[in-house]
Amino acid sequence: MSKGTWEIGEVSFPLSEAIKISIENIKKRFTRALITALSVTLGIAFMVTLLLMAAIQEQQGKEGAAAYLYWLLFISLMVCGVGITNSMLIAVAERYKEIGTYKTLGALDRHILQLFLLESIVIGGLGGLTGYIGGLIAALAYAAINDAVNAAFIALSSPFSGLAYLGAIPTAFSLFILALTVAMALSLIATLYPAYYAARLNPVEALRYEV
Amino acid sequence: MGVRYEYTVETEDLAKYYKMGTFTVKALDGVNLKIRRGEYVSIMGPSGSGKTTLFNMIGGLDRPTRGKVYIDEVDISKLDAYELAWLRARKIGYIFQTFNLIPVLTALENVMLPMIFAGVPREERIRKAKYLLELVGLGDRINHKPNELSGGQQQRVAIARALANDPAIVLADEPTANLDLHTGLDIINLLRKLNREKGVTIVTATHDLKMIDVSDRIIYLRDGKIERVES
Repeated sequence: MSKGTWEIGEVSFPLSEAIKISIENIKKRFTRALITALSVTLGIAFMVTLLLMAAIQEQQGKEGAAAYLYWLLFISLMVCGVGITNSMLIAVAERYKEIGTYKTLGALDRHILQLFLLESIVIGGLGGLTGYIGGLIAALAYAAINDAVNAAFIALSSPFSGLAYLGAIPTAFSLFILALTVAMALSLIATLYPAYYAARLNPVEALRYEV
Repeated sequence: MGVRYEYTVETEDLAKYYKMGTFTVKALDGVNLKIRRGEYVSIMGPSGSGKTTLFNMIGGLDRPTRGKVYIDEVDISKLDAYELAWLRARKIGYIFQTFNLIPVLTALENVMLPMIFAGVPREERIRKAKYLLELVGLGDRINHKPNELSGGQQQRVAIARALANDPAIVLADEPTANLDLHTGLDIINLLRKLNREKGVTIVTATHDLKMIDVSDRIIYLRDGKIERVES
């Protein structure tokens, strides 16, 4: 488009560059990213344990998890989300000046949004992965101990319990996908407000801010 | 490079008012200014005189209450957010008092950043950034991060970054205020050299008297108005 005497061209920010900068940002503040990811880890671990235990119990012909446990799961994921929002708001406040600088160099609002959302997806993915592993171990350990105790007290109570574990394998696989999806989506949704706030910052005010 | 414009910056009756509760602060009040291509202009004035506000207006960071700003003969108050971003990437180079490098990026990556926004191909970005870092005397520091560089070196990276897209104008807001006397002088001489040899148009805001000696013109600002101009 032409304005007066010179042409206005494209403003670009390729995804590959944005991903690189987001990962550098996480590496720079790794401890905090780890703590944020840990809250995702705990929430996801709880989810995986609960769903996997329910699957194993159903395979053993017992009842699955009680309904109130699903409520508890929902609440714990909410708490986890609020923790992420809080942590990302701090990350934005810390980087006011940096955000102002990006804008003076030609960044659009959506480029700033992109940087923070990518960061949250990576953190969410990290938390989802560790949460899945943690939850899997916890569920298997619980089921194994439960069986051992049962076997000690009631002879022949569950002679084919090994089959129940095998039967839960498809659930464990689908839980892997679920854990990653929920973790990344949760982290992304929790970061929408902080990222939007960062993107809308007026460059003059952002630059004036002293940390 | 296409058309050469006589005036890189022109302001017409430029004003910016801020509402502070019930009364109005006139940060800028009717500034008329013309800066020629290739000029080195210093803007002097006590704090609160409107220097930074003037910079923000010329740099397309803030909108005036009244009046106009022309960069290469285009009225930038009429540009939308997308066009302003393009203007900041291509037409304006900023140098700050606090350097403002991106801490997670190396010197080379910092200089490449404005070229990413401008859509310059990767090979060309690397070549140009290396050239600019050599130009400012940091050819051997290209892979260092800002926290591995001294204040003077960081400001040199910032100068290289400001020149990345061959802007119409470089705006330097108190570029020596956070540097010691000797380093500050080096930075001033570097800016002067770039102005003389590369024809870069430079506008600096300063209280630094060393800066005055090298300027083509000095504009004294007081209470949002031009008090006097010295050549």
